[in-house]
Amino acid sequence: MAVYGWSGKRLGQKSSAALLLTPFVVAYLAFLVIPFLNGIWISLHNWNLMAVAFDPNAKEFVGLRNYERILWGKNIVWSPAASPLVQWSAAFVLLSTLLLTAFGKISRGTAVLVGSIALILFVACGFHPGAGGRWYDRRFWPTVGNTILFVALTVPSITIISLSLAVLVNRESRAMAVFRTIFFLSQVLSVTVVTLIWQLLFSPRQGLIANVITLFGGSPIHWLTDERFAMAAIVITTVWWSLGIAMILFLAGLQDISRDIYEAAALDNAKGWRAFRHITLPNLKRTITLVVVLQIILHFQVFGQSHLMTGGGPNDSTQTLVRYIYQTGFRDSELGRATTMAVFLFVIMGAFSLVQFLLGREDKD
Amino acid sequence: MKQIILATMLAAGFASPVMAEDISLGRFFGACENAGSDTKTSVGEPCIIQSIINAASEQIDGVTVNTLPTDWGNYYDQLKAAYAGKTPPNVHVMHRYRVAEFAGTGALADLTDDLAGAGIDVSDWEAAAKAGVTYNGKIYGVPMDFHANLWHVNMDIMQQAGLVKDGKPVLPTSVDELMAQAKLVKEKTGKEYLIGDFSQFETGVRVVMSLIWQQGADLYNGDTATVNTPEAKAAIKVLTDLFAAGYADPKYNYTDSQQAFLNGEGAILINGTWVVDYYDSQAADPAVALKNYYAATFPILFKDKAAWAGSHMWAIPAMLKQNDPAKYAAALKVLAFINDHDGDWARTGHMAVRKSVLASDAYKALPHRTEYATTAGLARTMPPSKHYGAIQDTLNREFQAIWLTNKDVDAALSDAELDIQDLLDR
Repeated sequence: MAVYGWSGKRLGQKSSAALLLTPFVVAYLAFLVIPFLNGIWISLHNWNLMAVAFDPNAKEFVGLRNYERILWGKNIVWSPAASPLVQWSAAFVLLSTLLLTAFGKISRGTAVLVGSIALILFVACGFHPGAGGRWYDRRFWPTVGNTILFVALTVPSITIISLSLAVLVNRESRAMAVFRTIFFLSQVLSVTVVTLIWQLLFSPRQGLIANVITLFGGSPIHWLTDERFAMAAIVITTVWWSLGIAMILFLAGLQDISRDIYEAAALDNAKGWRAFRHITLPNLKRTITLVVVLQIILHFQVFGQSHLMTGGGPNDSTQTLVRYIYQTGFRDSELGRATTMAVFLFVIMGAFSLVQFLLGREDKD
Repeated sequence: MKQIILATMLAAGFASPVMAEDISLGRFFGACENAGSDTKTSVGEPCIIQSIINAASEQIDGVTVNTLPTDWGNYYDQLKAAYAGKTPPNVHVMHRYRVAEFAGTGALADLTDDLAGAGIDVSDWEAAAKAGVTYNGKIYGVPMDFHANLWHVNMDIMQQAGLVKDGKPVLPTSVDELMAQAKLVKEKTGKEYLIGDFSQFETGVRVVMSLIWQQGADLYNGDTATVNTPEAKAAIKVLTDLFAAGYADPKYNYTDSQQAFLNGEGAILINGTWVVDYYDSQAADPAVALKNYYAATFPILFKDKAAWAGSHMWAIPAMLKQNDPAKYAAALKVLAFINDHDGDWARTGHMAVRKSVLASDAYKALPHRTEYATTAGLARTMPPSKHYGAIQDTLNREFQAIWLTNKDVDAALSDAELDIQDLLDR
């Protein structure tokens, strides 16, 4: 497409690109880059939301103290058995990766990726307060742990269920079109509506689930106030809510797979599960990576479900990172600390974006 | 000079009859779709307050009041964000314990010298009500009520358990009596003795605080947290003993606890003054299991007279007073109107703050009012702190962890003490 300047003269490729990119770059700088840099700047201050609004000089530069107060503690030591289950599992994965690489069973890229994650987990989970020590913010790391647990439960569930649904409704019939619409419908609801629906369903007094359990002679579960079920409750809600978009992505991926391959496979007697295992899954590899990484980034930012359904409780068991950031920023007015946590969240999400980038590059290789 | 100009403009504002001002108003209490403007017949907090606001909008010359949509649970977060964005509502409600935080940062207008001009007689306020809206010697709001926790009683269940004398419920005067009564109710009726939202709302914190105060202790003193104390352990033990014996269920949330009480599933519900008229109207409904309702003062189980209480008040942003004197004058008129309707607001069950209302026959004749008349004498609130919200949440989280997740009492109290000390040190 030819682009013309003010003088009516046709612009060169570089000038055209600069001109066409300008609106995006301006918006990107104004609404993303500058606020992000401003966030980092705020995180280096003792910055009260209200006080600074009325007196811009009310802030105090504290350097990296907010990072120390959130991430670190008094007399923190490291040991290889601080969180034995996680650390030893990570060590096992690390050793297995090394062995598999040595025998050429996995690619070098995958090995570096999996090995790095295992190494980070092994090292990070080893820090703990020594005798007489404590974390300065004793709620931060458990909150990070809750968020990771939420992601670990939600992402595989959504991926598996939405893939299964996509395979089931990937047929050209009127009924399947109706099902596709129904399964996607929950996605368009707002978090307020979704949590309201599920609070009603989970209610131990008049909820549908309690009624069904009572019908079979059981006693109703207090989903939202029982520590054993609260996380499960917000995971179930999130899975129900988030299936639609993942299913649509999988449907798009499935429709990209040529019918010819299935027909050829059918001649070799590969149908049903075998066709799914050997044709569908390998062809969907990039879609699965995309769905998983998008879901990880999305669900690390979980807020509404925890805030509206359980209030982060009981005993902080459903407290998540974004809710903690929100409370620190708005309830406690501590914008400096809140943005510090937000920067930490950015680093985590940045790491997963990097993973997607690396995996994508490996696919091309 | 600035004050003279302001006073002149205010006087002009009050004198000029037609200066249409649109006043935005922020409040919690919940939504009421068709409140109307009859302040004498509305029922329940949301509808009574909205009827007063609607009446203000109709009756104050040249002023229309626009109620902003806000959500109870996130009200203060929304309000702070609005202040930080320099777009706060022209008039808003708040709790007295938030004054230190808002007035301390310069957010609220100093109303001290402007109230009389707006027709608000400060000398008519109860001393405690005036103290609640005063910060560093200046008045930052118009108080609207005192509210406290009551024991809402199902008299039929108490009667079955033999706990009614002379038409009044026999309530405990010690922890031992409380446990004995709970046992009696369970044995005679099979029902729970105490119902409340101990799983999400702050009921548990307010009960524990009341019982700590009744022993002469407090949760923080100045800049020092004093949470892990024998008094706190004794207070918590009252509730955990009730839960352990099956005389109360810690897992009800607000809606479930209220529904259980109205369904006649328990003898006593712990909830605030704000639901007296609602329960009274529910008890008159043949479809509701609760028939004979009584609203009792929170009992004294230890030595001192003390029970948690709070106060709602109305404030105006400082920036409105600085930047728009005409609108500020209109906002003051709205506050004066609300102050004039203190008696209507008291119909919710809250206690009035104006001496003239408290002395009126109409106030004394309100349903159940005499049953909890002694509540005002127990009223006690937490020491003011800029971190009130975070302190409340910390206590709520740790107390609930004790009865919902079996967290060790000592560990929970020591964690709460560390967290609160951390807040007080900031």
